[in-house]
Amino acid sequence: MVEIIDGSENVSVHGIFNWILLLAIFSIITAIGNYIGYQHPMADSLIGMAILSIITLVGVWMERELPFNISSIIYISVIGIVLAFPTMPTSAPLLHYVSQVELLSIVTVFLAYVGIGMGKSWDEFKALGWRAIIITILVIASTYLGSAVVAHIILTLTGVPA
Amino acid sequence: MTNDDDKTNIQHIYRNKTDKRILKKNPWKDYGLHLSVLLLVIIAELIGPIELNLAKGVTVSIMPLLYTMVLGLVFYLAKPITWIQRKQSRVAEGAMMLFIGVLIAKLAISSGQSIHLIFEMGPALMLQELGHLATILIALPVALLLGFKRETIGMTNSIGREPEVAVVVDKYGFNSPESRGIFALFIVGTIIGTVFISFLTSISVSVLPLHPYAFAMASGVGSASMNAASLGPTLAAFPALETQIEAFAGFSNLLSFSIGIYIVIFIALPLTEKLYEFLEPKIGRDSITDKKGGE
Repeated sequence: MVEIIDGSENVSVHGIFNWILLLAIFSIITAIGNYIGYQHPMADSLIGMAILSIITLVGVWMERELPFNISSIIYISVIGIVLAFPTMPTSAPLLHYVSQVELLSIVTVFLAYVGIGMGKSWDEFKALGWRAIIITILVIASTYLGSAVVAHIILTLTGVPA
Repeated sequence: MTNDDDKTNIQHIYRNKTDKRILKKNPWKDYGLHLSVLLLVIIAELIGPIELNLAKGVTVSIMPLLYTMVLGLVFYLAKPITWIQRKQSRVAEGAMMLFIGVLIAKLAISSGQSIHLIFEMGPALMLQELGHLATILIALPVALLLGFKRETIGMTNSIGREPEVAVVVDKYGFNSPESRGIFALFIVGTIIGTVFISFLTSISVSVLPLHPYAFAMASGVGSASMNAASLGPTLAAFPALETQIEAFAGFSNLLSFSIGIYIVIFIALPLTEKLYEFLEPKIGRDSITDKKGGE
């Protein structure tokens, strides 16, 4: 975390080119996986992935170019939510193509990169003792179950049918 | 440090990692990396999900997303695979920071589509964020019993991903025991977190009689990969509720990323410190880090 350097972070044409190519590679791999796993037509999946990639690009670009301290995750979420609003004219065509891309197809490709990316933490992980592993398991389990239980209680109290 | 600097540090961690690795190199040139990912995806999708019956009524589903992740790590560690090295690992991590966007966009579109449901479930969505505080009550006493000292404060206040690491480092300093604690949590969480939460969710949906939406909301723990890994078994268990589950998971994740950090700063960390001061004299053990000279 100390290695945070503030180099030139301005979006150059070069940078955007790199993002676009990476997203294109990601889209193609996802479309192939989506075809093998769920038999969705490749062309529709590619259009769906192109839509998601454009939203991502706009969000990432806004984070760097706009003078607010807002993370791209928030921009991307807001753009996606607004475009898919049932009353928006963009909603129907957007849903048609994006629904062709299964969430799990995206996740499967995403986690392959995560797996390779976590490789370089392996040595540090091995150096940590079993105590750290126990605590991490407890932290994740209680964070997850804590919010599941609270959500369940509120859903039941507000009378949401299961 | 002023408050503004705090925010800058916290918000720009993802950006720094992505930019350092993507803007300054030509990551798409790493054919070996991307072709390996394609190979992993094809293998995983061909195998498909596997259901294991652990006991009566307890099923664990192992999804293709787990195969690609574990095989990705194996590719990095396996000696014969010379084209996936530290450099590719760094590129993969930078690329992943960009690909989170695609995942978030897909979830956001489900959220937008079901926006009326999001408003209806507003109270549950907001309050379940406070459920994350359960980690302090459960993990903190155990950490003390295991002999951790002030490391406990960093280790048990939250899920410990990038934004929380930044908050703790900023508050206690890089070389503090608190920071050592959250670094340990971060590293272990990086390696086992995704696999663990996938199994945890799988078992939870099959044995706990909770509302399907509750599982969806809970999956937004504040880490995109854990969110994704937890969604797999949830979607498999309730296939008819696909859009709603995606909508709640996406929105809960959005809340974790946007207000979660303030919950950590203003509620979780002060609470962790209070509980530590209260419990440490009662159940604290001899420090393990003193004996072993730092862990």
